[in-house]
Amino acid sequence: MALPLPPGLTQNEVAFLAEMEMVTVVPRQRLDTIDLLSGRTPQLRPPHRAQLPLWLALLLKKQRRANIVPPAWMHPASLAEIIHRETKEDPEAFSAPPPPPSRALYSQPGTARRLNHHASYLDDFSQTQDSQQQQQQQQDILSPPFLPSNVAESPAGYLPYHWLEVAEALLTHAGDDMPAPAGEVRSLLRDLVEVRAAKMRSSTSALEGFGDAWLTLRGVGAMELAENRAFLAGLVDGVRKIGASAEATRREEEEEARRGGEYGGDGDEDSDEDMGL
Amino acid sequence: MSYYDIDAILTDAEKIPCTFQIDVPDLGYLDNQPGHTLKSGSRVALPIWLAEMLAIANTGAVDMDDPSQSSKSFITFDLPPALGNDVVQALKADPRSVPLRDQSAHFYALATHMMELSEEPELSAVLRKTFVSRAAEIALHARKVGGGGSSYHGREGGGGAGGKSKGKATKEDNASNLGVGGAGEDFLRGLDEWERKLFRSAHDGTKASKEWMENVKKR
Repeated sequence: MALPLPPGLTQNEVAFLAEMEMVTVVPRQRLDTIDLLSGRTPQLRPPHRAQLPLWLALLLKKQRRANIVPPAWMHPASLAEIIHRETKEDPEAFSAPPPPPSRALYSQPGTARRLNHHASYLDDFSQTQDSQQQQQQQQDILSPPFLPSNVAESPAGYLPYHWLEVAEALLTHAGDDMPAPAGEVRSLLRDLVEVRAAKMRSSTSALEGFGDAWLTLRGVGAMELAENRAFLAGLVDGVRKIGASAEATRREEEEEARRGGEYGGDGDEDSDEDMGL
Repeated sequence: MSYYDIDAILTDAEKIPCTFQIDVPDLGYLDNQPGHTLKSGSRVALPIWLAEMLAIANTGAVDMDDPSQSSKSFITFDLPPALGNDVVQALKADPRSVPLRDQSAHFYALATHMMELSEEPELSAVLRKTFVSRAAEIALHARKVGGGGSSYHGREGGGGAGGKSKGKATKEDNASNLGVGGAGEDFLRGLDEWERKLFRSAHDGTKASKEWMENVKKR
């Protein structure tokens, strides 16, 4: 207990990581490429759109050198749809994360495959010996900070992993670039935060029953995780401690039943269950 | 559970009702009879750490007349009143309305310890349901309680002083906070140590988020 910080990331760290998300900007001035650790930024030529990391986009926005195009999911209609889905259609689950980006297959016209789908990667590898395409495939690293889920083209109606952080940053620093008054978007976001916080609390009731109890956190954003991590971990740990002795007894009984089955012993029912396993 | 875990130590000091199975000379002072022999069959409340030892160890005496009696343990123990039937029934009826702290400040820790010593399958199921349904309530209160960060840190300072003083600080803090009715305050007062920790972690998370949200604008 020497570490003062709890396990996991703090809110500020999460927000810092979220600044690596790519966003779409419309530059107002020319800017050459910059060599960054994460790669080269594209050359900025006014009216052409370009994708930049959020931190750089915010910097340019503050210097009035670029406008940020907010991602499609931040449109009020999209947010309202998500809220509707979370409250009316499926009040239990969190809305699903955005679908992984896909790309048309060159080898099979008319079909598309997920970019990070391992099988498709291997398929293409064996089918087309095009080395350039392999290189392209290998460059696609598809985990949350590198997914293009906050660019203008990202699909509406899905909340990406860093939704709250990106939305707050954009609303605060690029409020005038929003498709609707910033206040409207902000109030929808507040609603969404409250709805999902309530859902997070009620989802814990899944742990009440014995045996097949689990918490599903699919679709929960990074900031919500940072907020609830300590609580959920403490809750699950408490349930584990309370069930520990019962669990130990159950295991012993199972062990006993298995041994009984080996010797052709008494417990017929138990050995049947073992067959099922 | 660490060796220096103060909660584990305090849990071990909780007393449970025990019945002596043998006569022990000069131990009468446990039963308010100094200088006398403690008769077998007398009921004494002993701390868990001692009761556990005495219940597991046997006397080692060999009784030639009656071999079945030869290696009986020093004591047998019952469930403490905190885990008694009426409490369990109340928990079954409505987990949220029972002030667990009045039963024991380390209610769950005591219960898990007792379940390790003797098998109580029903108790375990009831406790699990209690813990989870109360946790949802705790999360709700942790989110609603207190906008003021400074008063919260004031409570943290008194944290090491042990159960009682901590309880007082929590009560005062909650009394000063808006938005929580009298019922909520009663509920928070009835939290045991595990639940207090849960409350604190939930509250810390909410507070950190709120702080971050306010800081976004300043940057």
